[in-house]
Amino acid sequence: MSAIIEIKDLTKEFKVLERREGLKGSLQDLFSRNYKTVRAVDNVSMTIEQGEIVGYLGPNGAGKSTTIKMMTGVLEPTSGTILTNGIVPYKNRSKNAQEIGVVFGQRTQLWWALPLVESFKILKDIYQINDKDYNDMLDLYRSLVDIDPLLHKTVRQMSLGQRTLSDILAAFLHNPKIVFLDEPTIGLDVAMKANIRKLIHALNKEKNTTVILTTHDMGDVDALCQRTVIIDKGKMLYDNDIEQLKKFFGSYRILKVRPTGELETQAESIKNELEGFSVRIMDDWISILVDEEKAGVMDVLGRLQRSYKIKDMQLEEISTEEVIKKIYEGGVN
Amino acid sequence: MKKKDLRFYLRIYFKILAQDLKSKMSYRADFIISTIGMIFTNIAGFVSFWIIFRNFPSINGWSYYEMLFLYGFSLIALTPVQCLFDNNWNLRIAVYSGDFIKYCFRPVNLFFYYQSEVFDIKGLGQLAFGIGTLAYSWHHLGLGFDILMLLKLIVFLISASVVMVALQNAAAATCFWIQNSFYVLDLVTRFKDYAKYPITIFSPVFRFIFTFIMPIAFIAYYPSLVILRPDNIEILSLFSPVIAVVFFWISYKIWMHGALRYNGTGS
Repeated sequence: MSAIIEIKDLTKEFKVLERREGLKGSLQDLFSRNYKTVRAVDNVSMTIEQGEIVGYLGPNGAGKSTTIKMMTGVLEPTSGTILTNGIVPYKNRSKNAQEIGVVFGQRTQLWWALPLVESFKILKDIYQINDKDYNDMLDLYRSLVDIDPLLHKTVRQMSLGQRTLSDILAAFLHNPKIVFLDEPTIGLDVAMKANIRKLIHALNKEKNTTVILTTHDMGDVDALCQRTVIIDKGKMLYDNDIEQLKKFFGSYRILKVRPTGELETQAESIKNELEGFSVRIMDDWISILVDEEKAGVMDVLGRLQRSYKIKDMQLEEISTEEVIKKIYEGGVN
Repeated sequence: MKKKDLRFYLRIYFKILAQDLKSKMSYRADFIISTIGMIFTNIAGFVSFWIIFRNFPSINGWSYYEMLFLYGFSLIALTPVQCLFDNNWNLRIAVYSGDFIKYCFRPVNLFFYYQSEVFDIKGLGQLAFGIGTLAYSWHHLGLGFDILMLLKLIVFLISASVVMVALQNAAAATCFWIQNSFYVLDLVTRFKDYAKYPITIFSPVFRFIFTFIMPIAFIAYYPSLVILRPDNIEILSLFSPVIAVVFFWISYKIWMHGALRYNGTGS
């Protein structure tokens, strides 16, 4: 294994116009402008090895897309260095582009009016893929997903799921060293999500392609990533094995209950009853964070049922946001 | 990886073009209606031109057929910008919505890749009209014909086209800096309508503007002088190929500069 991406002290600052309020403010803005510097990415360092699948997580606006734009060469870092495949992406955009594949959420990069196979043929020319590699790749695709019905359909006519699938296939077509997937499963149904995860996993295994995956869906991370990097407000919070993270959070679940009576007083009394648990009111539910290593969810529920009349209950896995909050509170490293 | 030479680009261009035409043909009604629309636009333009000249036999020393020559010349010269660079009109929307970022990830020239996406076939009707008008006026002016004339015509037509392409590139590229760039592009397109008149009919101020600031005089007037008034060529006419190349280069640089500093919207 060798490092394919090396990021060191990476920082990106944007100048943002501070708009004043109201009509008077807008007029003032015309003549004198106040700029504020925002650090979208703040001193991030990491090394990614060839063949890794890295889950790059963080809430909206955390700086994920900005980091990816710098890795793909679209943005120039304010300071710090990036090397992908040993080259500086911003300075060698075209050379870098030859070795990467990118899928950006719901924005297709394929030709809207063309059947998929024609898009593939154009990409074959753009990336100068020879006939053998091209056909081998199509055979591999055939063995992984049912692409033949897709090939002759225009991108315009595809469902969101089919389009995402096609975009991912197109991103891997020239056998790039790194593929960036920005929220590939957003808006898809469960079956399609599973399909796409399977495909990404298989392509990574088969071609040893490095995959950088940004997502909000812990399910994607669970299914694909050996390693996760978590970023919030531009700062790196966590970079480690997924197992490490799971060991810590795998035991946490959120129990939500809705007892009879007034929500607030009930929550207060539950808080007193369950000492050492984090109890909060969230959207008409009383949510209790349960550490299963200390107490089983069923035990907690049983205890509650003795003293309260529970109308309804829900059990939830911990979410990315919840994980980040926990990291802030201190714990994992 | 092989070097990306002109052959590489031509190959990709024709492949995309062929596919684009195929898909356009498949929307038959759309194709027919837009072609008919284009024909009527040209007929209307021609009729209004004709009506003016029923009343004025000549404008500032320019006869009907000479004016017709300019008209035909400008129609032909405007074909490439219409056919090959029509995607400039969509640039503003692509930039605003963030879709432009998809063009940034390919190992090919960004300008080329963006422009290659659209080929507007309607321009070909305009080309046919232009050639017809030019041939008709050519015949009536008794200009004669030989290889040298044809060569001159081709060279100066190309320079004229390149000037228009350059103008449009520069105007479209303003969207990388300002939000309402539609008006800039629209302004340039409206001004190009003045290209078919001899610049001598305008006041000195506009003459200066149309020559040096918004060089629409190079779309028809200066280049066609070489053929129409060979004894009395202005120096700017002879330089129009050079000027065209310079303008194009500048507009390309502006376009690319804007495109490379583009960093998309959030996602």
